[in-house]
Amino acid sequence: MFEYAFMRNALVISLLISLLCPLIGIFLVLRRYSMIGDALSHASLAGVAAGFLFHASPIVSAFCLTSCFGLLIEVLREKFRRYAELTLVIVMSLSVGLAITLVSSGLVHTNIDSFLFGSILTVSQEEVITVAVLAAISALTIRGLYPQLVMLSFDEDGARISGVPRRTINYIFSLLVAATISVSIRIVGILVISSLIALPVATALQFQQGFNRTMLLSILFSFLDIMAGLFLSYWIGAAPGGITAVASVLVLLVVILIREIHQSRRGGVHQ
Amino acid sequence: MISLEHIDFAYENGPYLLEDLTMTIYDGDYVAIVGENGSGKSTLVKIMLGLLKPNHGKISSTFRRPAYVPQPTDLINKQFPITVEELLDFQRQVLKIRAKTSIEAALDQVGMADFRRHLVGTLSGGQFQRVLVAKALLGQPDFIILDEPSTGMDLRSQDQLYPLIHDLHEQKGVTIVTVEHNLRYAAHNASSFFHMVEGRGHFCTPDEYIREYLQENGGNAHV
Repeated sequence: MFEYAFMRNALVISLLISLLCPLIGIFLVLRRYSMIGDALSHASLAGVAAGFLFHASPIVSAFCLTSCFGLLIEVLREKFRRYAELTLVIVMSLSVGLAITLVSSGLVHTNIDSFLFGSILTVSQEEVITVAVLAAISALTIRGLYPQLVMLSFDEDGARISGVPRRTINYIFSLLVAATISVSIRIVGILVISSLIALPVATALQFQQGFNRTMLLSILFSFLDIMAGLFLSYWIGAAPGGITAVASVLVLLVVILIREIHQSRRGGVHQ
Repeated sequence: MISLEHIDFAYENGPYLLEDLTMTIYDGDYVAIVGENGSGKSTLVKIMLGLLKPNHGKISSTFRRPAYVPQPTDLINKQFPITVEELLDFQRQVLKIRAKTSIEAALDQVGMADFRRHLVGTLSGGQFQRVLVAKALLGQPDFIILDEPSTGMDLRSQDQLYPLIHDLHEQKGVTIVTVEHNLRYAAHNASSFFHMVEGRGHFCTPDEYIREYLQENGGNAHV
């Protein structure tokens, strides 16, 4: 199937997504911000619609607008400290409202289904280059901020006292989440990106390993999930987003089941 | 030296938690902050660390390398997937300390070198507290604040931790501030108490504090 250019393009993007989503996802999950990933993925729909409206790359416009919404969440979280989840409702209302208005008004004359559900057929060579650049910048930034991000996730106050600039790093992290979502929407689709951000990490956490091993396991499971989505969608002709999301839940459930069986056997041996 | 002058603090739309509080801690002091729950001890510590900004008043500090040891139960996710060694290594990188040997030295100092490959979530409260102290020691601090260091610890763990804090103060000259409920160790180690009552505080000796405590509680309290 890799004789087709669209499959080769889809494979390259899938590999980049399988690396980037857990790199961001592990910090979102451990800081209990998984819902920010969900809110921003929905917010990216407004960026896609704006891209079509202004005849720009939908991935670049999704990155720009999702970044703005990510920064808005950070600003609002400072204002609504006691009701932080309210900020997600505000940003989702604004972004999805904008997207629905643009799409339903007829200003956008393109079918955005492929961005909602993901697609392997419509990935162009230019999009591969855009995604590769965004992914490379994001991965390098995470590498540079890795210790700071870990310590902020472990103990925010302790990290601040140690000189970690919390607010600046949170703003940069918002841009990274926006970049990850923009990179992923082409294949995985807006509706289920959050599954690929959170679930491989949730699966890796079941193994109770240290941070670096948990990160590597997250990347492994992310790779398995997205490859299942890519190959099965090719064979059965369905959108890859749905299959990837279902695969990520199934892998998590299987790992939990195996762990439970293993633990109950160990318990039996001890008794 | 850290000096707080006429500090007022209230959260947005809330009552004042600190009112006209003035205190100075000099280099080499060991101060135990004591008082009832809700008297403003933790708020004072957060102001000293720069985590909260006072509504009024002035803070000045000459300490260059402050460190904080939170309560093991306080806010930290103990299920965080990280080994003891990784935790200290990431802290080392944050503090831009080049020598990796500093990790081993800090763990040796708290008697936790054998636990370097353990996940922090598998440690007992006392072991976890000692790892947090090792993390604080990495930056060779000149000022350490410990928030209720004996919370959740059995007596054996307390007997391991407090001599360590005592040595840091006596042998390395580190200025120590502890938020304390454990009067046994506080009275033994601290050079003075800072007694907080309803957002205000004053320095006193352990004996004076006990007298004040008995007066506040009608002379019936068990100390």
